[in-house]
Amino acid sequence: MIRFDYTGKTVLVTGAGRGLGFAIAQAFAKARATVILNDRTPEKVEVAIRRLGDSGMVIGAPADLSSPQGSAQAIAPALGKGSLDVLVNNAAVNIERSIENTSDAHWDEHIGVVLGAPFFTAKAALPLLIQSQGCIINIASELGLHAIANNVAYVSAKHGLLALTRALAIELAPHKVRVNALCPGTMDTELMQECAADSGDPEAYYRDFRAYHPLNRLARPEEVAEFVLCLASPAAAFMTGAAVVLDGGSTAGRM
Amino acid sequence: MADKFANRRILITGSTRGLGYAAAQEFLEQGAEVVIHGKDESRVRKVTSELANAYRARARGFAADLNSRTEQDRLAEFAGELDVLVNCAGVYEERFCADATENHWKDTIEINLTAAWRLARALSPGLKARNGVIVNIGSDSALLGFAGSVAYCASKGALVGLTRALAVELAPHVRALCVCPGPVDTDMMRNSVAAQPDPVAARRQWESFPILKRVATPKEIAEAILFAASPTCSFQTGSLIVVDGGTTAGRIV
Repeated sequence: MIRFDYTGKTVLVTGAGRGLGFAIAQAFAKARATVILNDRTPEKVEVAIRRLGDSGMVIGAPADLSSPQGSAQAIAPALGKGSLDVLVNNAAVNIERSIENTSDAHWDEHIGVVLGAPFFTAKAALPLLIQSQGCIINIASELGLHAIANNVAYVSAKHGLLALTRALAIELAPHKVRVNALCPGTMDTELMQECAADSGDPEAYYRDFRAYHPLNRLARPEEVAEFVLCLASPAAAFMTGAAVVLDGGSTAGRM
Repeated sequence: MADKFANRRILITGSTRGLGYAAAQEFLEQGAEVVIHGKDESRVRKVTSELANAYRARARGFAADLNSRTEQDRLAEFAGELDVLVNCAGVYEERFCADATENHWKDTIEINLTAAWRLARALSPGLKARNGVIVNIGSDSALLGFAGSVAYCASKGALVGLTRALAVELAPHVRALCVCPGPVDTDMMRNSVAAQPDPVAARRQWESFPILKRVATPKEIAEAILFAASPTCSFQTGSLIVVDGGTTAGRIV
């Protein structure tokens, strides 16, 4: 594991109540950043902060990012503090539905949270990021690069997020604000475990997801989080507008 | 008159001007029955009657504001069972991040992305029954970032994802393709250029992006749309047809 030092830096991680977002918040906290931790409800934020224990300086920022008002709410603690160095747009929803079962509400929620929220949160954070010459990391997905069935809203939104990443990168380059995206494959998160349990045959569920990735395993949230710290660090100082793929080979080809 | 699309039923959104209009002419030329769509009712009526005269009927018109879901639904109902759906209607307005308001974002996403999705969803049973084709009009902005285009780039990038998702899920009955034009000499581009403080420089900038050092004619893009929709293209689905004068291929530094 590479050692990163984020002493004196402020990082906002959206959707950090659990899963990858939590792992990212934890990694930044361990690297001595001040972490502003967002999730949908005060309860989820509280639970996450308690789980982090005394591993660092953490501020809660509960907000529902399905509307632009939520983005403003999530940024408020950073504005109050007067600084933000890293914005990690991680919050997402991902519910599989066939085309005919994708309702307007389902579509709007996915487009709103996965594509809209990163834009509105970035916009709200802009003055602070310009001041700090900071960076934005958008957590996209391997499904920003190709499609699977029964996931039309999520696939569309994640593709859009990669295009948004490039547009923001070009526009903010003169301000020395870097914008990059990370495209993970399937991760072994709490959500994954729940879905496996719901499937009736957890073992087969996991086996199928492992086989989907040529490396024949799922990603650990911690290894993806490690990459986020790398993208936000001086090691990636010349990187902007990139889509870094961390998908166990799933978009590289077929076995 | 050729008849590559004889008796084919086609809806082209945004077909009273620009790319959509050029595509309508080409489809009609090839014997198709085309539903002309635009936002402005009088313009739809005028364009439809002109095209109907020029191509001996087979053009029907329908006015609908694609920023309204009720009107999206009405358009889908009017179109009925189709062989080809061309999602061409789109809006572009230069807005830098700080000035990209909630309404700017919402309108751009609704018209460029969500309307295409909702029409595809509504019309997919008919398209399946007829082994049809969905042609989405993307942009080089789906593949490259441009300053002042956050909402537009996001909407067009998502449209590429939508195309792939539709292709995967509607296969093997329906093909879905995304034609990604570079800058085209249309009202959309001319209006954007005219709104700039220095229109001549703005026009020159548009011409500078393609390595061919010019913008496309609407007809050049319409040809790609017809190819995508035609049986000649029968093994192509979920893919991009990039007609951008080489903009995404690289640059002459």
